[in-house]
Amino acid sequence: MIRAILRAQFLTMRFGWGRRALSLIAGLIWYTLWAFVAVAVGIALSDASPAELALYLPMGLLGVCAYWQLMPVASASMGSALDLRKLIVYPIPHRKLFAIEVLLRLTTGVEMLLVLAAGAIGLSRQGGGAGLRAAVVVPILIALNLLLSTGTRSLLERILSRRKIREVGALLLAMVWVVPRLLFHFGYGENALERVGGSMQSALLPWTAAANVLLGNAPAIGFLSLAAWTVAAFFFGRWQFERSLRHDSVAAAATPAQVSPTRVAIADRLYRLPALLWRDPLAAIVEKELRTLARTPRFRTVFIMGFTFGLAIWVPTAVNRKGPAEPWFLTVVAVYALTLLGQVSYWNCFGFDRSATAFYFAAPVSFTRVLIAKNVAAMVFIYLEVVMVIATTTVLGLAAGWRNAAETLAVTGVCAAYLLALGNWGSVRYPSGLSGERLSHGGGRGFQGFLFLIYPVALLPVGLAYLARYAFDSEIMFGLVLAGSAVLGGVFYWMALDTAVTTAATRREQLVAALTTSDGPVSGE
Amino acid sequence: MSAAAICARDLRKAYGAKPAVDGVDLDVPRGSFFGFLGPNGAGKSTTIRMLTGLIPADSGSIEILGFRMPEQELEVKARIGLVPDESLLFDRLTGAEFLEFVGRMYGLDRATARSRGRSLLDLFELADDRKMIAEYSKGMRKRVAMAASLIHHPDLFLMDEPFEGVDAVGARLMKNILQDLVRRGATIFLTSHVLEVVERLCDHVAIIHNGKIVTSGRIEDLRAGGESLEDAFVRVVGAGAPRGQLDWL
Repeated sequence: MIRAILRAQFLTMRFGWGRRALSLIAGLIWYTLWAFVAVAVGIALSDASPAELALYLPMGLLGVCAYWQLMPVASASMGSALDLRKLIVYPIPHRKLFAIEVLLRLTTGVEMLLVLAAGAIGLSRQGGGAGLRAAVVVPILIALNLLLSTGTRSLLERILSRRKIREVGALLLAMVWVVPRLLFHFGYGENALERVGGSMQSALLPWTAAANVLLGNAPAIGFLSLAAWTVAAFFFGRWQFERSLRHDSVAAAATPAQVSPTRVAIADRLYRLPALLWRDPLAAIVEKELRTLARTPRFRTVFIMGFTFGLAIWVPTAVNRKGPAEPWFLTVVAVYALTLLGQVSYWNCFGFDRSATAFYFAAPVSFTRVLIAKNVAAMVFIYLEVVMVIATTTVLGLAAGWRNAAETLAVTGVCAAYLLALGNWGSVRYPSGLSGERLSHGGGRGFQGFLFLIYPVALLPVGLAYLARYAFDSEIMFGLVLAGSAVLGGVFYWMALDTAVTTAATRREQLVAALTTSDGPVSGE
Repeated sequence: MSAAAICARDLRKAYGAKPAVDGVDLDVPRGSFFGFLGPNGAGKSTTIRMLTGLIPADSGSIEILGFRMPEQELEVKARIGLVPDESLLFDRLTGAEFLEFVGRMYGLDRATARSRGRSLLDLFELADDRKMIAEYSKGMRKRVAMAASLIHHPDLFLMDEPFEGVDAVGARLMKNILQDLVRRGATIFLTSHVLEVVERLCDHVAIIHNGKIVTSGRIEDLRAGGESLEDAFVRVVGAGAPRGQLDWL
């Protein structure tokens, strides 16, 4: 059965090799970078003293675990997973489905596998049987993380499928990031690593237990503790997986019976605002996009993430200054929000429309207007996010004045011109259907896999403006270079728009087919 | 102006080496209720998609309501109502919002689009529903798709399996509306696998098989000899004997 499922998945992937080749190249670059990190970890562990290892190894293993569990959520993509709705009708024992699901969790932690493998090699160079102990402990540690990740993912996906709860969930996840940084801010930063390391000496903690076994410190107790944690993770993972099998996500996301008429009327007025600025069909498409995106759970969750995660990461640093933040603070948070919103707006702008994208080819409307309208809607949300960030920093007393706010708005606009230009091209060249309900489905393939390379290039013109400010210590030079970047961005945007429209006209069949095609039994990132 | 609502000549479309539509000639008279029939995979949907500009033809000519495709694509699109086989519905809009959006895309002002949308929702018994289209049943989706095809009062309707998934009451309602439209001078071009429906509604039919039109004309002529449309259809496309061994079943 497992082989049949994997074969069905392989067969559904066979027509997309061109696109997947891009993912492969992007993956190679990404994992090569992580291979360097892993080698550095290996060298560090081989050279570390026993005291240093006892202090830092539990923390390192905790970091590995945290990355495995939290990184997929922080990147708004929860990795590959079984599409249970497609498999539940078949008489497949749940334990087999669970086994596949656990193995699929490897896809979200390949970086950590590299780090653990290199770390094990590094430790084995310490001698004294460390290599043998690593050979036993590291697989158990991997199993613990996989099982825990399976349970966490099932739990999170169910929570995030409920109306309203998913937005609260996104806020709570942001808190996971902000709490340690706030602790640092409120004076816990002094020798924090040593104190955290010191407080992690109990073998009751799985990371410490694993470290103890690896280092040969009371290995029997450590091994028992680690084994107990792994068994507990198995039961947790299995329990949550079973609950997900019985979860009705459609009912969880259904429209409530009672909706306040006042709220509906106010929202309706807001959605109609584009008609004050533009004429139909542009205004109609912008309005439709605003309504659609605002009601799409996945978009709303990422919108909240863009707003809160940026602040969560940077606010404590800025608060530490006991005064207005550095001028770059607001810009960095705004650009972070801009990039995070990309995957649910401009990089794959037809993703949520799926088969309905064909409507734009059937209706008497030019495709240029469709793309412009989608970009306008994306910009509305991008600027809404930035304005919320500015308002929050103002309330917290971190705002560095109106000039800083204006600079942030201008920089966001210039960055957006380049990103939207590339996004329009990517949207018609490498489209993929997105699930509006589930955070984990669709949108992470091919072109999107290259984003970590595209962002630095797309943001380079704005970076040059900051370089000019730094090099010449001149606001005028900054303004001039930024204005030049804006003009260049405008030209680039119109040229890319023209290319995207031509591409859409010639590839309309492939475009709609790619958006309509569903995944195999395993849904992608 | 051409007397035919649809006039296609030597229409061809291939996917790789396999021709999906292979030299189709079609003449759909204005004001006719035209049934376009064929077995699964015969090329019906591909033909409709080419007629509506959803996909480009490899070769051949298409003239719709006197306008040439693809040169006068926007003029054609503004005058046709489309109910495709796959969903062109935006799931996160309510039925009312979707109809207003479609109306505006076809050049109606907001007030007219909204007013017509309300009337259509009443007609299709979807008026009280504030649910998003994502929560609609298959039959409700078909009904709202048909309502959308009506909102700009087109002269020609292209419908791909419009009754699929619709319950008996909904289907009866839709058939009545379509018959009324034809009485008022509209042209309807539809595909359906339910031959009884085609037999009852259509005055003209064409049958496509393996990408080629195998017969075309008035429905009475096709049923010569008193046979039913189903008999005529099976005779024309040929009913194959069951293939393969099913002894295990």
